Amino acid sequence: MRVRLRIRAGVASACALSLGGCTGVQSVLDPAGADAEVLATLFWVLLSGAVVLWLLLNGAFFYVTRMRVRPHSRKIGEAVIIGAGIAFPTVLLAILLSYGLSIMPDQRAPGDGLTVRVTGEQWWWRVEYLPQDGGGPVVSANELRLPVGARTEIKLTAAKVIHSFWVPNLGGKMDMFPGRETRMALEPTRTGVFRGQCAEFCGTSHALMAFPVVVLPPEEFEAWLAKEREDAAAPADAAAERGREVFLAEGCGACHAVRGTPAKGAVGPDLTHVGGRRTIGAGTLPATAEGFGQWLARTDHIKPDVRMPTYRALPEQDLIDLATYLKGLR
Amino acid sequence: MAQHREEKTELKTFSEEQSSLWLIALGPTIWALHFIACYAATAVVCAKLDRLAEDGWLLRAMIGTATAVALALIAWTGWRSWRQWDFLDDRDHVHHRPVTEHRHEFLGHASFLLACLSFVGVLYVALPAVFVTGCV
Repeated sequence: MRVRLRIRAGVASACALSLGGCTGVQSVLDPAGADAEVLATLFWVLLSGAVVLWLLLNGAFFYVTRMRVRPHSRKIGEAVIIGAGIAFPTVLLAILLSYGLSIMPDQRAPGDGLTVRVTGEQWWWRVEYLPQDGGGPVVSANELRLPVGARTEIKLTAAKVIHSFWVPNLGGKMDMFPGRETRMALEPTRTGVFRGQCAEFCGTSHALMAFPVVVLPPEEFEAWLAKEREDAAAPADAAAERGREVFLAEGCGACHAVRGTPAKGAVGPDLTHVGGRRTIGAGTLPATAEGFGQWLARTDHIKPDVRMPTYRALPEQDLIDLATYLKGLR
Repeated sequence: MAQHREEKTELKTFSEEQSSLWLIALGPTIWALHFIACYAATAVVCAKLDRLAEDGWLLRAMIGTATAVALALIAWTGWRSWRQWDFLDDRDHVHHRPVTEHRHEFLGHASFLLACLSFVGVLYVALPAVFVTGCV
C-alpha cells in the first residue's frame, strides 16, 4: 500500500513538473505572438497524431499478444505491412511535410515597423533600436521592448561565437553568427513580460544569458523609446553623486557607456538606463540596489568566466553608493 | 574436375547479374543526384543571382524540371525491376532458392523496392519548392 502511494505521488509530481512547462514566461505552449501561435498549433497537431499512432500500434500489439494469440493469414499480414507500414506512413508524412512547409513563408515574413539589431556577446545581449524616422540607433542591452500588434524586424549577429536568439512565447528561434547577419520578425499579440534565452551553447555562462522581453501598448512603447534615447539622469541624491564619482574613478567608463557622462566604453553593456531594466547580468539578478551590490562584489561567482572584473576590494560604502547610482540610472 | 566446372558456371551466372547490380543502384543514385542538384541550384541562385531569385520562378522551374526527369528515370527503373522480379512472366514472385532464376528475381525485387523508396524521396525533396517561393 505504501509503495503504491509512493508511486502515485511520484507520478503526480512528475505530471505537475511537466505541466509546469505548459505555461509561464518562457514556454512555447503559452504563445503570445503570431508566429508562436502557429508553432504551438503545429506542436498540438503532431502530438495528437503521435498519441493516435501510439494507441493504434500498442492496440495492435495487445490484440495479437493477448486477444487473438494464433497464426494470422499471410494475406492479412501482407496487407497490414503494405497498407499500414508503407502506404499510410508515406501519405501521412507527405501531409505533415506539406503542412510544415506551408507555415514556413509566414514565419519568415518581414517586419512592418521598427527594426531592432541584437548582437550576441559573451554572455549578454547588445540591443539597438533603429527608429523608422531615421536618427541614430538607441543603444540598450539585455532587455527587449516591443510594441504589441506590430511586426518588429529583428536583425541578428554575434561578436565572437555563435549564439541563438529565442523568445519561446513570441516565435521561433534563429542562430546568430559572427560576421554574418541573420533575421527574424516578432509580432506580439498581447502585452506582458516574457523571457528570452540563448539557445546555442556559447561558453561557460551560456545558461546565464537570458533577457526579459517587455511587450507594451504602442503609445507606451513610443514614450519609453523616446525616454531611452535621452541621456542618463543626473544623480538624485548625495549617495548617488558619490556613486557616480566612484564609477568614473574606477574606470568603469572604459567598458561601459553612460550617455551624458565621460563614460563611453562599448565593450560591455550600455548602462545609460540600466536602473530602469528589470534584470541585470543578462537576466541573472533583479535590477535592485541589492542586485547591483551583489553583482559588483561577486561578479565572477554570479557569472563564471565573465570578462568584467569583480569589485569586492572596494570599500563597502563605495559599493553601496555605486549600487545606488546605478539603480538611479532609469 | 566437376567442382571446377561448377565454380565456372557460378562465376558466369554471377557476371550475368552485373546488370542487376547496376539496376539496384540506379534508383537511389538518381535520388542522390536530384537532391544535390536541387540544393546546389538553390544555394547558387540565392547567393549569386539576386534579381533572378526575387520571385523564385526560375529556381522553382529548374527544380520542377529536375524532378520530372528524376521521377521519369526512376519510374523506368521501377518498371524494369518489376519485370525482372517475375522475369519468366509466370506470376511467380517467390525467390528463396539458391538457383539462378531466384537470384535474378530477388535482385529485381530489391531494385523495385529501392525504386519505390527513391520515387517518394525525390517527391519529398522537391516539395519545399511548392510552398517556399523566395530565398529569404
